[in-house]
Amino acid sequence: MVFIDRIQTFFGIAGGMLTDPVSIAVLFGSVLLGILFGAMPGLTSTLGVALLTALTYSMDTPMAMICLLSIYVGGTYGGSYASILINIPGTAAAAATAMDGYPLAVKGEGGRAIGLTTTASAIGTIVSMLFVVSISPLISNFALEFTSFEFFLLAFFGILISGTLTAPDLVIKGWIAGFLGLFLACIGRDQLQFYPRFTFGISELESGIEVVPVLIGAFGIPQIIDVLRSRTTMPKAKKLQRIIPEIGTVLRNIPAIIRSALIGVGIGAVPGIGEDIAGWVSYGTAKNTSKHPETFGTGELKGVIASETANNACVGGAMIPLLNLGIPGSPPAAMLLGALMLHGVTPGPMMSFEHPTFILEVAAILLLASMAMWITGMILAKQVVKVLNIPTPLFMPIIGVLCIIGSYSLGLNIFNLYLMLPVGIICYFLTNMGYPIAPLVIGVILGPMADENLRRALMVSQGSFTPVFTRPVSLILFIIIVLTILSQFGWYKRMVEKVKTKIFNNPTVR
Amino acid sequence: MPISNGYMPGLIFYSNQIVMIEIEKLRKADIFSGTAILCLGSYSIYEAFQMPMKDSYAGVQNVWYVSPALFPLLIGSILAFLGILLIRTAIKEVGMAGLKSVLNYLSSPDFADFLKQPVTIRFYGIVLNLFVFVFILIPHIDFFLAAIIFLLVFFFMFYCGSDEGIVGLICQIIIGGVILSVFTASGLAEKIDTFAFFSADILVIFFTVWLIFHYYIVAKNGALIPKFKLSLLIGFIAPFTIGIIFKYFLLVPMPHEGLVVSLLDAIWYAEIWS
Repeated sequence: MVFIDRIQTFFGIAGGMLTDPVSIAVLFGSVLLGILFGAMPGLTSTLGVALLTALTYSMDTPMAMICLLSIYVGGTYGGSYASILINIPGTAAAAATAMDGYPLAVKGEGGRAIGLTTTASAIGTIVSMLFVVSISPLISNFALEFTSFEFFLLAFFGILISGTLTAPDLVIKGWIAGFLGLFLACIGRDQLQFYPRFTFGISELESGIEVVPVLIGAFGIPQIIDVLRSRTTMPKAKKLQRIIPEIGTVLRNIPAIIRSALIGVGIGAVPGIGEDIAGWVSYGTAKNTSKHPETFGTGELKGVIASETANNACVGGAMIPLLNLGIPGSPPAAMLLGALMLHGVTPGPMMSFEHPTFILEVAAILLLASMAMWITGMILAKQVVKVLNIPTPLFMPIIGVLCIIGSYSLGLNIFNLYLMLPVGIICYFLTNMGYPIAPLVIGVILGPMADENLRRALMVSQGSFTPVFTRPVSLILFIIIVLTILSQFGWYKRMVEKVKTKIFNNPTVR
Repeated sequence: MPISNGYMPGLIFYSNQIVMIEIEKLRKADIFSGTAILCLGSYSIYEAFQMPMKDSYAGVQNVWYVSPALFPLLIGSILAFLGILLIRTAIKEVGMAGLKSVLNYLSSPDFADFLKQPVTIRFYGIVLNLFVFVFILIPHIDFFLAAIIFLLVFFFMFYCGSDEGIVGLICQIIIGGVILSVFTASGLAEKIDTFAFFSADILVIFFTVWLIFHYYIVAKNGALIPKFKLSLLIGFIAPFTIGIIFKYFLLVPMPHEGLVVSLLDAIWYAEIWS
């Protein structure tokens, strides 16, 4: 009965949105804006969500969520346009798409590739939406058993795993980025005793650092500096032909689409891991499981479908830890978390009590956004690709103005700008030195949660760490954290190899 | 200790379209960034020890596990440890010779050449324009005027200008920024405003007009007039579109409201519309 009630509520919400002209206008407008953001090289869905957060401040929460999630879905998909037509990924998420997308466009099949990626992206989003609806209650119920120790360890785990998987160079740099984020989160008066920490006598820092300006700075400023500094000139986009895909081709690729969607959801659900990794892993899997892997890289439709399905499925996947645990699954989800907090919604296990229908609302928006994305993609693709002709030196400075006015408008405080710009420039240098930014951002967001829960937990246990080992979930999280750290050490890897060799008695493993 | 990410190298950088400097250079840079992280961690630990640990604060007797110092101490210790680990990994890979070569490079003419390279000069231009916009223009000048000059400078640098022109623009921004800072910080602006309104805004308008005129001549000589016209068009339309949306539709007061906002207010709230 509960299940039927949920389905009824879900369709009630979706129907309500469909019958409201304003919601529909916002939905289609945001999806289109997201596609434009994704299509323009240099702009990302994270930046799109960041900038729109300021614009949605005056909206009510459901409308703001329609706007932000639609941008997220549209932006993730929109990156494929530039990948396919000019061989430059519009977003990180679409980097793998360029491998086969551009060769297809060179062959004169760019329209066909875009038609298929649009359909695959829509199916990927819908599959991920099904996971949001079905898995969320289970995780949410499970998370209700969490106490302060579990939350502290969960935050710690989120930062470590994000640092481990997103570091482009040394894993240690990913961890450093995460702990730098936690350090930034320490700034301001602490939540339990209101003692000022690292405020340097600056009154604006007493309330802590505003998350959204820091996120806008961390994601926006490095992007602006990098694009302008490199003076990238765009190649001429290939022309589009027929876009609507053949049903036969779609049906033949359904197993590949489902597999890629599952990969996307799985990767999206891991804290801090974004759509780019989902796209690459799915592309790699499609290539490895193909009977003709040699065709990948030469214009293989399966390659394009794999990366595009997975990156869009990642959107729903990223919502699962965000909504149920309060831990963002990807960088745009981190921005969404900031936006939700601005609207007074605190994601986490209590979400199902405080906002009982919120997860269903998110799922309904994902469903509608995927449909809107498909319709927009099919109708407006030929017009949207014209944005690829806009020179980057003309739109990046405008993005700069938007970053600045957006950071200021959240709190109407010029100090936000004084914070945003230095953070952005530091993040630019960090990125150039091989430090990932996602763990830093997650650290800033999860810092207060980790700090409070650590001290609360110790308060309850009178300073004892024993509950970490006596509570099953804590113990599991603790073991995972220790294994994550140990797995990076050479001696540990050698020891595991030795143990494997001994157990399986297989000398070739060595 | 090979703490490296097997399958990821290059991926994030490729995706972020940021060219990754070679691994060896990266390791050399790691020595410095590791040192900075170590210093930050040590500073965090030092500050944490200044916070109430077991003593009373605001009438509350502390125990170590509820102390506000606990988390900064933990984070500081981990950061310091990771900083040491990073330095150790870097030195292990490039050796002390690598460190010496960096120090030699920093004092060599090659480094001076690097500082003069077009790509570095572009970086100075971008950062300077951002800093002037955020720290000088926005707090003192009408937002619309500030945004127009910010955009025009970027367009003249990167759309209808060349790398050679960036140095000139940087000089102009510095001179303009210094004049405006002195004008506002000395109280001269306030004094003039007692008998003539929006003096700082008018000063910036003069500067903008001069900048436009100067670049018109540059563009004319370089046959860049179409690009110049487009820059001018977008440079004026974009701030008005963004500013009007925020100010009149989202009801966000601008950071500094001056001459243009007063004019727009007069138009927007004119009785003629009601």
